Amino acid sequence: MNTFGDIIGRATELPWLWAGLVAYGLATIVVIAGVMRMPHRAAGAMAAHDSYVPSEKARTWHGHEKLVLVLVSSGVALIAIALAERWVRIGHGPFVNLFELLMSQLFSLGLIFAITYWRVPAMRASAVVALPLIWVLGIWVLTLQPVDTPLPPTYHNDWLWAHVGLGKIFLSLCLIGTGLAGVILLRHSERFAPWFRHMPANEVLDGLAWRFMLLAFIFHSLMLVAGAVWAQDAWGRYWSWDALETSSFLNWLLLGMGLHARFTYRVPLRAGAVLIIAVFVFAFFTYFGTPFYSEAAHKGVI
Amino acid sequence: MKKFLRALGSIRLALVGMVLLGVGAALSYDNPAGTPVWVLVAPLALLAINLFCAIATNPRINRRPGLLVFHLGLFAIIVLAGIGRLTHLDGQLEITEGSAFSPDELTEVKKGPFHGDGLSKVAFIQGSYTVEYNAGMVRGLTHSQVLIPDGRGGMISRVVGDDRPLVLEGYRFYTTYNKGFAPVLTWMPDQGEAMTGTIHMPSYPLFDYKQDSNWTPPGGKPLRFWLRLDTGLRQDAAWLLDGKKASGVLVVNAGERRVELLPGQSLRLEGGSLRYERLTSWMGYKVFYDPTLHWLFVASVVAIMGLGAHFWRKFGVRMQRTHESSITDTPVASSGRMP
Repeated sequence: MNTFGDIIGRATELPWLWAGLVAYGLATIVVIAGVMRMPHRAAGAMAAHDSYVPSEKARTWHGHEKLVLVLVSSGVALIAIALAERWVRIGHGPFVNLFELLMSQLFSLGLIFAITYWRVPAMRASAVVALPLIWVLGIWVLTLQPVDTPLPPTYHNDWLWAHVGLGKIFLSLCLIGTGLAGVILLRHSERFAPWFRHMPANEVLDGLAWRFMLLAFIFHSLMLVAGAVWAQDAWGRYWSWDALETSSFLNWLLLGMGLHARFTYRVPLRAGAVLIIAVFVFAFFTYFGTPFYSEAAHKGVI
Repeated sequence: MKKFLRALGSIRLALVGMVLLGVGAALSYDNPAGTPVWVLVAPLALLAINLFCAIATNPRINRRPGLLVFHLGLFAIIVLAGIGRLTHLDGQLEITEGSAFSPDELTEVKKGPFHGDGLSKVAFIQGSYTVEYNAGMVRGLTHSQVLIPDGRGGMISRVVGDDRPLVLEGYRFYTTYNKGFAPVLTWMPDQGEAMTGTIHMPSYPLFDYKQDSNWTPPGGKPLRFWLRLDTGLRQDAAWLLDGKKASGVLVVNAGERRVELLPGQSLRLEGGSLRYERLTSWMGYKVFYDPTLHWLFVASVVAIMGLGAHFWRKFGVRMQRTHESSITDTPVASSGRMP
């Protein structure tokens, strides 16, 4: 019988994981402190915006933003080491139990968020919303035991990689859209509105958020296709309305409906933001909620 | 007419169809027995009509190549899925080592009304198999040997298992966790010809504690069999299930009599003799046929590529502009509608 101490003792990946979570935590603190300090300067810049010519440096990075990027990137690197350590130790990738699924999500969410943070300055302050959401997973993973679970025979399939990887990109893009949607909603609060005064207008953020959601839709569709091919190989059927399939299909429909509504009608900004958050919450439930109401998320997994 | 088609192809109807499909999907969760298939078929039919009319009448779709390809792809997926259900076959098969496949042995068969007779062309002989187990009896990889005709009068060997199905004539045979042992028995009646057959014991090692079965000889009394196996099964370490290395004692209960037979031994019963020839194994397969599989994949990928092309064409350049506008800290007015 493995005791808790034995399991923790064997899990050499834990220090790297903890260090990565600390880096994410510091990034969250820095970004919140940063946006709280920024309004005065940014507001001044905006008030005199016609004559304001920012320096080349200021054009790209606000004071704390580089530090946030460095911290998030460090967190990604540390969690990557944790994943590699675990992979070598147990002999397979992070595909089976909730501990390793959360760990790999922490990696992929951080990685894609960092890349977007670097390349899309307009969304940077939305880290105030997105990073705490990543931390929900961080806190959750700390409550789980890093138990070793053998790889089921049906997981020796290249399409699994495509399915899981595409799903991670989808969730990450949803997270970025949700960060922007969160900013739109927070701007309606007197307390939080000043934090985001340096960001583009809500209409711009809304457009940007929906572009990320459309991209998320593309990756969600690819994930479903790759998953169907894997399911056909693994269990002899490409679709079976199991817990994950049903939930992810409903998520796909919800996002599809949202995109149709957004591209066709004048959806109020707040309603659009709520819809984006609803899609993210649904996706979150699909990824991490199904273990609570389904013995085997995918039928035949055991 | 055009107005009618436009109404059928409206976004509003698409949204209604999607909501109905969502309800149908939720009702279909875990394939409950009481849910009729029309909860999915009706909204899919509505969406197919809506898609067709939208493609024909909506310039926002048919004048944008990417969106057009995406919606055509979705339409093709619905049509192909429908054809697939009308022509599909699902079934289970238990086949004994050394015996040839026969379509008559399929059980739990579900098939579409337009399923053909291709299964009768399928030919293979089941060979032996091995299954790896990790410590704690966690199942690993299955390697099942099959012999298939090489087209020149001979047979070629192939190993299938888990996510590597045997594909013959479009029918896909997947190994399952369901496999076990089968004593080969010969019944030699006092009058008439001897007959040889197998008794499939319950799935092993899932039911290793319950390797029993019943059989009644022609004109005789019911017999109860229990198979005492020695397979080297281990709970605490990795282990390989290999039928060639397994042995078993067959315990026969005939009324009050209880006799243990080793391979080659016989038992005299009322009306004839029963000989336990040897121990063999059986493998359980899931059988699947859907002629639209590859086309569904192509339609799905083409559809998504269309949407990707639309995204790139519409927003690829604009995204860059948004970045540039954002870094000047300048709020940008917008109509609130996506371009």
